[in-house]
Amino acid sequence: MALLKGTLDVLVLKALSWGPMHGFEITSWLEERSGGRIDVVDAALLQALHRMEERGLVVAAWGVTKNARRARYYQLTKSGRATLRAESAALVDHVAALTTILTARTAES
Amino acid sequence: MSRIRPGVLRIFRLPLRTVDHARDDADAELDTFLQERIDDLVRRGLSPEAAREQALARLGGSSGDARSALRRSAERRERHKRFREVVDELKEDVRFAWRQGMKAPAFTVVAVLTLALSIGANTAIFSVVHRLLLAPLPYPNGDRIVMPMQDGDPPLRLAAAPALVHEWRARTHTLSALAGASEFLFSVRPDGTVDTLPAAAITANFLPTLGVRPSVGRGFLSEEERADGQYAVALISHALWQRAYGGGTDVLGKTVTFEGRPLVIVGVTPPSLSIPLWRTPAPDLWLPATLEQASTGGSGALDPGPSVFALLGRGRSAESATAELQAIAASELDSVPREERVNGSAPVRVMRAQDLLSARERRVVQVLFAAVGALLLIACANLANLLLARAWARQREFAVRGALGAGRARIARQVLTESVSVALTGGLLGVGVAWLALRVIVALRPPTLDQLADVRLDHAVLLWCLGLSIVTGVLFGSAPALFAGAQSAGDVLRRESRWGSHGRTSGRVRSGLIVLEIAVSLVLLLGSGLLVRSFSELQRIRLGFEPRGLVYTDVLLGGGPFRDRRIAMRDAIVERLRALPGVTGVAVGVMPSKGYFSMGGLDAETDSAGHTTRIPTLGTVFITPDYFRVARIALVDGRLPDSSVAWPGGGPLGMSPEVLVNRELARRVWRRGRAIGARLREAPDGFPAGRAPTRWSTVVGVVDDVRMPDVRGDRAALQVYSLIPPRLGDVPFLVRTSMSADAAAPLVKHAIASAHPALFVRPTLSGDTYLRNGLAPTRFAMTLISAFAALALLLATIGLYSVIAYGVRQRTREIGVRVALGADPSAVLRLVIMGGVRLAGAGLVIGLGIALTAMRVIESMLYGVSSADPRTFGAGMLFVAAIALVASYVPARRALRIDPAESLRTE
Repeated sequence: MALLKGTLDVLVLKALSWGPMHGFEITSWLEERSGGRIDVVDAALLQALHRMEERGLVVAAWGVTKNARRARYYQLTKSGRATLRAESAALVDHVAALTTILTARTAES
Repeated sequence: MSRIRPGVLRIFRLPLRTVDHARDDADAELDTFLQERIDDLVRRGLSPEAAREQALARLGGSSGDARSALRRSAERRERHKRFREVVDELKEDVRFAWRQGMKAPAFTVVAVLTLALSIGANTAIFSVVHRLLLAPLPYPNGDRIVMPMQDGDPPLRLAAAPALVHEWRARTHTLSALAGASEFLFSVRPDGTVDTLPAAAITANFLPTLGVRPSVGRGFLSEEERADGQYAVALISHALWQRAYGGGTDVLGKTVTFEGRPLVIVGVTPPSLSIPLWRTPAPDLWLPATLEQASTGGSGALDPGPSVFALLGRGRSAESATAELQAIAASELDSVPREERVNGSAPVRVMRAQDLLSARERRVVQVLFAAVGALLLIACANLANLLLARAWARQREFAVRGALGAGRARIARQVLTESVSVALTGGLLGVGVAWLALRVIVALRPPTLDQLADVRLDHAVLLWCLGLSIVTGVLFGSAPALFAGAQSAGDVLRRESRWGSHGRTSGRVRSGLIVLEIAVSLVLLLGSGLLVRSFSELQRIRLGFEPRGLVYTDVLLGGGPFRDRRIAMRDAIVERLRALPGVTGVAVGVMPSKGYFSMGGLDAETDSAGHTTRIPTLGTVFITPDYFRVARIALVDGRLPDSSVAWPGGGPLGMSPEVLVNRELARRVWRRGRAIGARLREAPDGFPAGRAPTRWSTVVGVVDDVRMPDVRGDRAALQVYSLIPPRLGDVPFLVRTSMSADAAAPLVKHAIASAHPALFVRPTLSGDTYLRNGLAPTRFAMTLISAFAALALLLATIGLYSVIAYGVRQRTREIGVRVALGADPSAVLRLVIMGGVRLAGAGLVIGLGIALTAMRVIESMLYGVSSADPRTFGAGMLFVAAIALVASYVPARRALRIDPAESLRTE
């Protein structure tokens, strides 16, 4: 399932709220949690990370993966945490509204 | 896997990377990602090849595209972080600078005040320079407006034949518009009071040429332009709109009565719109006239500005326009009838507003600008000095910071941030100082610089102030910054003594700065001294008349109801003036030395054999015989002219049969000044000597020369006094009153206006004001430069004092040892004072050298005193030397009080 526009950032922030991760960890986490229903384009994910680092939502540090590879680990900053709180609340609200509308019984059904 | 706590991350941020590094990082990140994905897929049972294929597929798009997109985003990220890093450091530096400033409040207050005063003075003078030289015309098209004028010094109002002006307009390529304006006065009596309002006839394109729009209504249409004065529509000024029409928009369509005709008001001009560069009051009524009418009309005010305004085409220069108009004039010359040609035929020159400022006025502005620049230089030297002293005291702090890893550049930047922060604070206060200084400048402005009335701190000036503050901060901070960076941490920290030995280079820099300060303030002081001397010399000029208590105005008996009754009208006015309280004498004639009719040349008989000599230019003053008694001009020889001698039928402006000459003319033309009985006559241009078609007049008396205090020199003009011709329409009146002339002026105006309802009364001029105005340019320059010199001297004194005092503090131990070993107190005193005297002496010598050259620049502003006046120079140098002695003596006394035991214990 393709991602709703604009939700990638908040999902990535949510993943990072569990602790520092590198790019692939994030995407695996998202697949796992969604039961494989969410499918992120890899290049887009990495670019989103760069963008959020630029905005100061995450910071990065080089670390070593379980498979002994050098990777950039991303970690939430204070402002990243605040953004996550605000955006996820807004998104949940939005989705609830969509759900209400789309699941309402129509006249003929 | 690495786990780093966020707080730790904040401190040990990833070092900033270059753009190349950022690319490598992006590549590494992508590669790791792909490998991890492949490993994952293989773990799930795919073959390595299939796993690789799928990993690439999930990248979205080709791997090359993905890679370059990632590189780009990584680069952007690094650039952004780098910028943020700089901003963060700057913030930190400013916060640190603020703390440093708070720690040394005395230094901070002195520094900020010094800068506020000197940056404020600079900003004020810059706004003057900006108003007069850089952007003299405050209109949207101001930088492209030029004025074709008759070349000369000063340039004269354009006197081209209408046909030529028309030709210019038709054929020019360098000018995109040609607009005209001429002024006159009209009388209104809205509520029983008499008032004379300035009016102007302008071409329809006048406002668009300046680039301004009416605030209400519309401008003139070209079909409304009149050549015959039969106006139908008018614009009124913003001021008149507020005053007489209550500022309502219903003013459009109302009428205003002008010379008995109702004119329909079609618009209101923007506030305080006046004709550029005219010193006459801003017109209240604007009337549409053709270019020919507007550029040649006008009532001949004494000090008219340009009458033709042109808009330079984009990218054209005034020089190219001059060349073009001259070429057109040359090609047209043959077709213009001889009698319509330009009188005197000075070539036309297209001038910019700043070209119209006379050389001397320009010089005043330049000198003021240089003087405030020198003041700022002294302030910078002083602050650099104080900062160097502080840097010395803070060297341990710098060393510790250096030892903790701050680079030299980083420490230098910190010191610069401190000085720039101080300078910006000073600059902010300086805006207030500048505002106050501008009030003073506006109040003191001489009539020749009347444009300064509306000088203000506009955004260009504020921008300049900001830039100046930053430059100042860098200038006075750079020496301490270099010093702070240059000290080796180990050296400083190893040193036991708190004071150590005086840094040699730093000491030399500080002494050099003090020498510079003393030299520059001496130059300023000498400049101010020469101007003060000039001012007192000017006040001592023998005027030859008594201006205090004189009121002068002139009345237009030009046409209409007065054509045949001029003499009767004149007598009636004289009678009314005589009846005024306090009036002791009334005569016809101008304010002495104020103005006269220029008649071109004069032929004078030098002996009884009929030899004549040609006097090329002189002024003729039209008077009644009472004039000399009223003005208190002494009759030196002969008698007054007899007004009963019949007037010959000559030209309307011809001289009377009996005339007087002034002493200067008599001295120059006749042997031993024996002018009585000699004959002279007008010699219009173009007639050979002895062949002028004018009548002879006989000199019956010689009167004293009259002068106004003017730096241009005290040489009296050559003057002939003639009885006023009966047909002269512009009649000057001179009134002597025992009251103050300023108080009597309105009475005079009212008395004249009440003589006839249709009289045009010009603004009056009191002798006191006239005298004040004559002294005003010198007073203006003198007051400002003296203020700057006083400030400069104060700063230099503080600087010298602080250097000597600081030296004493550094040598506390040495002095203590000397005293302990039994040195004579006077020897210690001498030791310290000599240090100050040496610096002051060097400063005085250098300052004298500069002054001898620099004072030549203000030569044209001086009167009665040489630019190398030994008395002024001697007094100025003595004064500076005395101040230097005092500044050295006070710390020297303190050195004497040093307790040897105490000083040795400070180790």
